Amino acid sequence: MVAPLVAMVAVFLLLPMASAVYYVFVDFNGFDPTPPWIGLSNFTELAQDPDVWAAFKNNVIWIVIGTSSPIVFGLGLAVLVWNVRRASVLYRIAFFLPFVLPQVAVGVVWGWIYEPSRGWLNRVLETVGLGSLAKGWLGDPDTALYAVLGTAIWATVGFVFIIFLSALRNVDIDLVDAARLDGANGFQRLRHIILPQIMPVFLMVTTITLLGGFSVFDIIFVMTGGGPAGATEVLGTYAYSSAFQLNRISYGTTLALVITVISIPFAVWMNRLQRKLSLQGMGA
Amino acid sequence: MSHRTAGSSTRGRLLLTGKHLLLLGLSALMLFPLVLTVSTALKTGNDVKVNPFGLFSSFSTENVEKAWTVGDFGSYVVNSFLLSVPSTLLVVVLSTMAGYAFARLPFPGRSLLFYLVVLGLLVPFFTYMIPLYFQLRSMGLLDSLLGVNLVLASTGLSFGTFFMRAFFSDLPVELDQAARMDGASEWQIFLKVILPLVSSGIGALAVFTFLQNWNNFLVPLLYIPSGEHRPLTTGLYLFLGGRSIDIGPLAAGTLITILPVVVLFVAMQKQVTQGFLSGAIKG
Repeated sequence: MVAPLVAMVAVFLLLPMASAVYYVFVDFNGFDPTPPWIGLSNFTELAQDPDVWAAFKNNVIWIVIGTSSPIVFGLGLAVLVWNVRRASVLYRIAFFLPFVLPQVAVGVVWGWIYEPSRGWLNRVLETVGLGSLAKGWLGDPDTALYAVLGTAIWATVGFVFIIFLSALRNVDIDLVDAARLDGANGFQRLRHIILPQIMPVFLMVTTITLLGGFSVFDIIFVMTGGGPAGATEVLGTYAYSSAFQLNRISYGTTLALVITVISIPFAVWMNRLQRKLSLQGMGA
Repeated sequence: MSHRTAGSSTRGRLLLTGKHLLLLGLSALMLFPLVLTVSTALKTGNDVKVNPFGLFSSFSTENVEKAWTVGDFGSYVVNSFLLSVPSTLLVVVLSTMAGYAFARLPFPGRSLLFYLVVLGLLVPFFTYMIPLYFQLRSMGLLDSLLGVNLVLASTGLSFGTFFMRAFFSDLPVELDQAARMDGASEWQIFLKVILPLVSSGIGALAVFTFLQNWNNFLVPLLYIPSGEHRPLTTGLYLFLGGRSIDIGPLAAGTLITILPVVVLFVAMQKQVTQGFLSGAIKG
């Protein structure tokens, strides 16, 4: 019963993964059937490539802001909707819908919102008297990355929200009420009563969004293509353009592999922490 | 909650109304990009030129017609279905069978095989997408419906197997034991006894996988280089970078791309969120 699955996984997952490891040590241009062995040259070049470091820096910014903001907003929304009965389905649909949309479509529409002359963002800024801030958000190297991030946050909040909402359903509401009677304010209740109870879920959400930040591609590729002037280039878009536009197959593969390698310790660490907390939760 | 005094319950009701107003406002804000898409897609061509982003200032279906015919979105829709439906079926069937085996049938090498399969959850598609391109090329599967369906399916199999295994593991062992006592064969047990009990899981996996495949951008971008069988996602991207960006048909194309997703999500909201939730929490 597992044979068809194993065959698929072997051919379309394990085999290309093994080739990836091989590609890294040769200089493959896409056609040469016996590419020359070059050892670790791809890695040394990568370490000295200023574009790689610039892209890596953008990934770090993306990971920090793109993980923390959806968590803060998503948790806030979940706490808001938590004890709302009526219309909660409506809110769930409204907040979660952006997450299930294809990112290409999301990128197109947000491109209009950020449009310099007629886009809604600038129009709203002008209406509230902040017209001096108006600009071509995606065309300005200083703002492009944050503009794309804004879109990504919009699309991710719902995912975080739904997960927190379901975790909150398991939170002991009597404890929260007791804390309220003891005079704990909203923030204190969140910090000391609610958060400890949903900590494993909190870490899981963090892991998922964080790991997504390492391999971010679609939304940046569609909205800015890594530009202007490399301002939004991340490791993913750089790997793509190296391999498929500059025909540097091995170099692109090395980049892609490095993305995975640096993300794995995070995954393992978060997973450990999560396990530990779940066990503690059960013991308590 | 029920033992509140009259004063605090009025205050509570006011607070709740305020909360609803805030939530409604936030919902409107979240849905605004969608409203904008519908509005621009359904404008007249002239209105698009003057006022592309003004909300609902005119009405016409000319953009939709233009996107469907001139913009080729009519054939992109067909291709999106041809790429999403078979791959989803493949994921559901293979993951259900394997999930069952991994959860309930002891066989040699079970845990090693399971780890190999779940490796796909840990290793992003990114890592092996470039070698996979050349592998498909040498197998003659580039630009083919078969090849892209197989790749799309393979990207969903690790999650699917993991997801279904969790459902099968939750069922009590006594179930198959009782059926076995009654003389049922392994296949009968699987099809008649166990499968009906995990149908909600299968439904959630099917909807979830279909959405993932429908939305997938990178796989068709990489493995359908010639453009034959191009689906909506890469079609929309191509249109975006086209000769002159014609916002009206672009909005209509965007609408065509997201409409099935929106309909499916709203209709099966429970299954979709359940899919994401149980997947995330059990992981």
